[in-house]
Amino acid sequence: MEIGEDPCGHRHLPSPKPTALFVLVFHFHRTIDEISCAAPMSKKVITREEWERKLKDVKIRKEDMNKLVMNFLVTEGYVEAAEKFRVESGTEPDIDLATITDRMAVKKALQSGNVEDAIEKVNDLNPTILDTNPQLYFHLQQQRLIELIRSGKIEEALEFAQEELAPRGEENQSFLEELERTVALLAFEDVKNCPYGELLDVSQRLKTASELNAAILTSQSHEKDPKLPSLLKMLIWAQNQLDEKAAYPRINNLTTAALEDPAV
Amino acid sequence: MMINQEPAGESIDLFRLASRWRSGAEWKKIVEEMDSEPVPSHLNTINSSGLFQIVSTDKMSVQYVGSPQHGHDVGVVQADYPAPTRRLAYYFEMTVKNAGQKGQVAIGFTMQHFKMRRQPGWEANSCGYHGDDGYLYRGQGKGESFGPTFTTNDTVGAGINYASQEFFFTKNAKLVGTVPKDIKGPLYPSIAVHSQNEEVTVNFGKKPFLFDIEGFILEERLKQQAMIEKLSLQPNISHWIVRSYLLHYGYQDTLKSFDLASENTYPSESMAQENGFDDQGDMYALDHRNILRQLIKNGNIDSAFQKLREWYPQVLQDDKSLVCFLLHSQRFIEYIRVGQLAEAVSYAQSELQKFFSVKSYVDLLQDVSGLLAYKVPVESSVGYLLDGPQREFVADAVNAVVLSTNPNLKDADRCLYSCLEKLLRQLTLCSLERRASSEDQGEAFCLHRELQSGGRAKCS
Repeated sequence: MEIGEDPCGHRHLPSPKPTALFVLVFHFHRTIDEISCAAPMSKKVITREEWERKLKDVKIRKEDMNKLVMNFLVTEGYVEAAEKFRVESGTEPDIDLATITDRMAVKKALQSGNVEDAIEKVNDLNPTILDTNPQLYFHLQQQRLIELIRSGKIEEALEFAQEELAPRGEENQSFLEELERTVALLAFEDVKNCPYGELLDVSQRLKTASELNAAILTSQSHEKDPKLPSLLKMLIWAQNQLDEKAAYPRINNLTTAALEDPAV
Repeated sequence: MMINQEPAGESIDLFRLASRWRSGAEWKKIVEEMDSEPVPSHLNTINSSGLFQIVSTDKMSVQYVGSPQHGHDVGVVQADYPAPTRRLAYYFEMTVKNAGQKGQVAIGFTMQHFKMRRQPGWEANSCGYHGDDGYLYRGQGKGESFGPTFTTNDTVGAGINYASQEFFFTKNAKLVGTVPKDIKGPLYPSIAVHSQNEEVTVNFGKKPFLFDIEGFILEERLKQQAMIEKLSLQPNISHWIVRSYLLHYGYQDTLKSFDLASENTYPSESMAQENGFDDQGDMYALDHRNILRQLIKNGNIDSAFQKLREWYPQVLQDDKSLVCFLLHSQRFIEYIRVGQLAEAVSYAQSELQKFFSVKSYVDLLQDVSGLLAYKVPVESSVGYLLDGPQREFVADAVNAVVLSTNPNLKDADRCLYSCLEKLLRQLTLCSLERRASSEDQGEAFCLHRELQSGGRAKCS
């Protein structure tokens, strides 16, 4: 309901007219607000001593740091290091370590260009991974085609493209474009220097391998990325956020974690 | 016996590590207290306009009695506490049981000293979504066109998104809209009735909300995460930080496997040079630190003492130092663990007794000697002393004092904290300080909670 409109439907004066004094007070308040907003010197300064004292009071649990490190080892596939760390620190991994070994075997096969072997290993691990990920499956097949082209098996490559990949391309426009880009490699004598040469790069293998790695982790209901890099980004973000409110000792170099004196 | 005696000057303050000497239950409490604040649960029956509405005995619903005459006989009722702020968002709902004569019901937020006979949003520093016109009022004379009207059997909700600094309103489980939150200070969830027979009930979360507030919060969190994920890091920095952690604590076997596995991907030495990473000093006494850690980890405290005496006699020179205290306590604990109570008692008399003269040890000593009082010490309140983390804690303290013997040590903090820990401390403090300077609004970072929410979906 509109202000000043009473329940009986009559309009009447909404509120007392502001007196001159009221206006003055109001104006005064605004001026104070404007000053405090505009002046950058109002930004709070937290000295190094004060900051260090507060840092001491922060409570971080050793077990939690160990978990963070274990999570990194496990997610990045350092299976032996994870096993050693379990013994040395008493930290339990959040995933069955045996599954890392399998996951790393798949990754390794793919990284060395052995796509068929990688597909077989994934299916041994969990056949639903590829069934439920048509895009991943397409990328694996595309990688297989790339490997055939790389090793100069032209006829085999053509046959494979026409029989295995083209039907999938018909289902999906973006698959088709990627297929065309890949097949275009065949049109060049010097494939390394052709416009699509990047497909033959090791980075393409790594890209496919990391997509596969992520899909396997997801299928094991595990996060596909380690937490540590996110926390480091969070630190950068939190520092930027606090910059708006205060001048305080920042950490600009994450590898030394040294506090810089606040800029005053 | 002298009391109030403090441990003789040690080069590093191990007491900073001693803050880790806590049981799992204590940690849980710390985490809970970090964000604890009163939460609205009922309607406030004291601070109300009083004349126009009655609040039900369960303090969950309001009815307008009598017939209103003008714009100054609205019945506003606030919640018993202001909306809690130490979170990403706050939300509550109201269901209109009866729209009465005119359906002039409203939901919103007001300050503590709001004029309770005025609609939320009519006066400064308040805001309200009104049922009769579907307008939103934000402290100015006129409302703005906002959403659908609401009437009998409709459920509407009002919330504050602290991350985006917005109010948001819902109707029958659907988000109606958001408006900037430009009011400072504690805000009370408020409802208003203003025509005969109007009746509404509130839900402060005791019952499930109609609106999917969990989904709303998750979405907001993902937005924030996506923003954070866009930031870029120095390449391989995580790898380096993990490596320096293993070095710092002397997890030597892990380190060897880690280096071996990453040989091809990240040649550690060239990487350190390329990126200017500095790991000097962290290699110090690595073999010794690893051996000492293993001994303590296996409960072999006598051997740990022996090795320390042999390699670093200076750290045991002061027999009342914290590291001596921790090792002797651990020896005692190990006797208890294997049920050698007689040995435990005689060890306490010969080795632990002297520490009672040091005031700062007394609390810890009481916990330790308390183990004797229980038939099944593991199940007692001091049972945490028998857990693995306690051995690890003692091993970490020994690791720190050994690091402190490094003649090239520049920064004493380096003995206590790994690079990872310093970064996590900075992150925690920055987020706490940001919240403190934003009227206590929003979530603060807590590593423990972050790790527990393991299933938290990631934005892909």
